[in-house]
Parts: sequence; structure tokens; C-alpha cells
Amino acid sequence: MTRDEIKDVVLEIIQDIDEDGEVENLNADAPLRDQLDLDSMDFLDIVMELRKRYQLQIPEGDYPELASLSSCVNYLEPRLKDV
Amino acid sequence: MVSYDQIIIGGGLSGLAAGIRLARFGFKVLILEKHTIPGGLNSYYFRQGRLLETGLHAMTNYAPPGSKSAPLNRLFRQLKLSRKKFPTHQQLRSTIYFPDHHTLSFSNDLDLLRREVKRLFPESLDRFNALVELVSSHDPFVDRPWASARDRLAAILDNERLTNMLLWPLMMYGSCNEHDMDFDQFVIMFQAVYLEGFFRPAGTIKDFLDTLLDHYRALGGEIRFRAPVKRFWISGGLVGAVLLESGEEIACRQVISTAGYPATLGFMAGDNAPAEEAARYGGRMSFVEIINVLPAECRKDLRGDETIIFYNLDEPFDYRRPEQAVNVDCGVICFPENFRDLEPGAEFQLRVTHPANYEVWKSFDPVKYAAKKQFWADRSSERVGEIIGNYREKVVYQDVFTPTTIEKFTGKVNGAIYGSPVKLKEGTTPLSNLFVAGTDQGYLGIVGAMLSGVTMVNKHIFKEN
Repeated sequence: MTRDEIKDVVLEIIQDIDEDGEVENLNADAPLRDQLDLDSMDFLDIVMELRKRYQLQIPEGDYPELASLSSCVNYLEPRLKDV
Repeated sequence: MVSYDQIIIGGGLSGLAAGIRLARFGFKVLILEKHTIPGGLNSYYFRQGRLLETGLHAMTNYAPPGSKSAPLNRLFRQLKLSRKKFPTHQQLRSTIYFPDHHTLSFSNDLDLLRREVKRLFPESLDRFNALVELVSSHDPFVDRPWASARDRLAAILDNERLTNMLLWPLMMYGSCNEHDMDFDQFVIMFQAVYLEGFFRPAGTIKDFLDTLLDHYRALGGEIRFRAPVKRFWISGGLVGAVLLESGEEIACRQVISTAGYPATLGFMAGDNAPAEEAARYGGRMSFVEIINVLPAECRKDLRGDETIIFYNLDEPFDYRRPEQAVNVDCGVICFPENFRDLEPGAEFQLRVTHPANYEVWKSFDPVKYAAKKQFWADRSSERVGEIIGNYREKVVYQDVFTPTTIEKFTGKVNGAIYGSPVKLKEGTTPLSNLFVAGTDQGYLGIVGAMLSGVTMVNKHIFKEN
């Protein structure tokens, strides 16, 4: 997947998790948590959804890599390059 | 042998929530329920064409849609249920009723309780406000040793009557300990009841359970009813398979038991169950509930713009298992129709709950048992009638359930609905792929039970896979 495709997937997953989530005007470099008012339980859903869709295992120690939209894309790019 | 990723024992609210969570992310999951319908402690039954609810008086933790960090809304997100499409009815108000005409009313707006404290105990208002501050900022989910809520409240409020009045609904709604409760548990309950408040879903508990069950099945989850578990097959410190009473064996990678810790210990030990170990986890607090159905025209003659009345006429006040079968000097009076925007029907219900003694009820033979049910239902109507007005002769239908009924239908040892006095906050057991959720893990009420199922799955299954 390209960086843009990965970004779209992450945004789609977030919207799926949170019916009130407004993802249009997100600052890609700021923490998603603060912008969307989500907690660690919601972040686990992003991890689990990636696991379900792409059989991607993300160890708990790597969760901070998913903090912002940009860092998500950076982290996922090499891992989803063959998808 | 049939095989699943996870087996969940118990189709109550914690088991259904855990199941939805697992099925949502593609795990192959099976719920085993021994009863013929779901719900566990919060279920229903039919008598003479009427649907009667068990457990549910009101749900706690009210939050309007939109406030994302509220437990209720977090729960809905975790289960992928739309909070916006879940209509709710808030309570009107509820009252704590003590001797000397001491009453405190509260609603889902904390200001009412503040005004009531100011009216009854003006000297204690500042201290009450300090308590609210403390409870709002205290994180009760940090693992700490048991601490007496009474001792903390004595220091904060310095007013024994106010302390007892505030404790009473919280104890009746969720304390497995007699006399006192854990301070963290007190904080959880204070937030759930006084800061967030009571509501009920539109429709019955059956509608709510059906919604959860349909959702679970649509996500691919499976459930079997009339499927009681006999024991686990254990090897190398792991549960390898679950043996049903029917003789069937089902293999699995992990088990989440919501059957309560004493029953779970029984599954682990099979025929060699250590009775003393199980007894340590058996709670002592159980209850009798009397469901009265009354014609609508009696409504005007009874006190009752309240949703729930928590009354105590005992002096000195104590939350405990009574010596006799039932203590009618204290209890909870609930009008399940008294929620905002509910249309009155041709009949209304009056549900009364009193502390009861399991051992005494267990000792009655069937004939005596039936007679005692009637005897105590009558004593209850007399005592409650003193508070809300006489209704005894007007009851068109009445049903009583006792600690032994609860034990029979829910599997809770001693009919202890609030479970073990020793809580397993981490949810872990001596077997590394067996976890407990629900009442004995420590969360209470419908929202609490469901969050327990969710949290145990997140913590022990998702983070390990």
C-alpha cells in the first residue's frame, strides 16, 4: 500500500470506531488522542482492526508509534508494503 | 473434538460483552449458558403473560450521547453499538429515607443532592463538597489494598448520619462486604450513582439482551443454552478443554469464566473441589425481592414521584445479613415505571428488595418455604406501606424470589448477587489461560459487568495475541 492508502485506511478505522469522530481536519503530526478525545481502549481497537484486516501483529511496546496520523503511516508503511 | 479460540462460561452481561468484543475482531468464540435464556443476574421470566424483570431496577452511570470519556459511552464504542440509537429514560428522582424523617433526595443532577445536604445538614455542606471533589479526582482502578470507606468518610464528613445515608444506596447496590465497603469500590459506586445517575433503556431487559445477542451472532459469535459446564481438562497449567454436563468435550485456547470464582474453582478441581477454598470466596449478602403488580388507579394513593426509595428504619444502621429470613426494616422500593417520558400502562409494578439470610431459606422444606415466602411478602407490604401508603389488598399479582431462587438460576453461591468479598481485580487465576470476569472480578451493575467483560478481553487476550 502507498502512504496515502495507509492514511485512508487508518482514518476509515478511526471513523468506524467512533461514530462522532471528525477526521476531516486532523493535524497529521499532533496526537490523535487529544484531537479526537479517544482513550487507550479506543487505540487498542485500531491495533485489533489492523490485526483482523492484515494479520499484522503490533506488540504493546510499539503502541506509542501510533500516536499521530503521520507516525501511524511511518510505522505501517514497511509493514504493509506487500498488501 | 470441536475447537474454539475462546470459551466464555456464562451468557450474562459480562459474558455477552466479552463475546461481542472477541467476535468483533474475528476470534472464534463460544458462550456456554446453563440457563435457557441469557442475562444471568439481569434477566427475565414470564408469569401469567407478564414479562417480569430480575435484577434490573435501574442502570447506573447515566451519560448523554457525545460525552466520550463517560463509562457508558466508552462501553458502547467498545462493543461497536451506536449510543445514538440507544434510547434511554432518566430517573425522576430517588430518595434515601432514614429514621427521624431524615430524607435526602438525589437525581441525575448533583445540585439536587447538594441542596438536600444543605437543608438537612447545613453544617456539613462544605465537607460534602470536599468529598465530591475527592471522588471526582480519585482513580479507583489503581490496584490498592482494601481500605475502609467508613474510616475515610468519618474523617472527611465527620457526620455519622450523613455517612450512613450516603453509604446505604451504594451498599444496597453493590457491596459484597457487610458493615463497610472498600473505599475504591465506594468511589466507583459514588460516581456511578450520585455523579452520573440512574436510567433505564427504552423497552425491557429482554429487548436489551436480544439486541446484544443479535449483535454478537451477527459478528459470528456462537452461544449454546442449556449447556452447563462440569469441569475443565487441565494439562501443563492450562485449560485444554471444557467438559459439559452432557459429556461433550470442547477444546479451546482460552477460557473466560463469569460463573463466579467459587463455581470456577469447582470446574478446576472437578470432584476434588476444596470446600474451604471455595467458602472463602462465598459472599454473605443476599436478598429477597417481591414484585407486586398493581392496577393503575392505585397509583394516585401511593407516595411516588420517586424512581427508587432506599429506606432504613433500623437503629443503629448496619448493612448486614439478617439473623432471620428477611429484614423488612430496610430495603429498596423501586417503581420501574417512574422514569422520564414513560407512558403509564393499565398496571404498574412495585418492586421491593430486602437483605435476606441464605442459610435460613436453604433450611426450609418445600411446604414451609412456600408459606415463608407468603409470610415475608406480607411483612414487607406492611412495612413498606408505612412509607408509601397501603397497597397490600390491591396487589393483583405478586411473585417472590429468595436467595435460593437466585442461586438456582444464576449459579451464584449462597445467592450472593454481589459475589465474593475477595475480588480478583486482575482477573487472573492459577491457570495461565483461564480468566474471570463479572461480579467476582470487581465491577458492579450492568454497565460495570459489561465493562468487566470488555476489560478482561482487552487485557488478557488482545494484548497477548
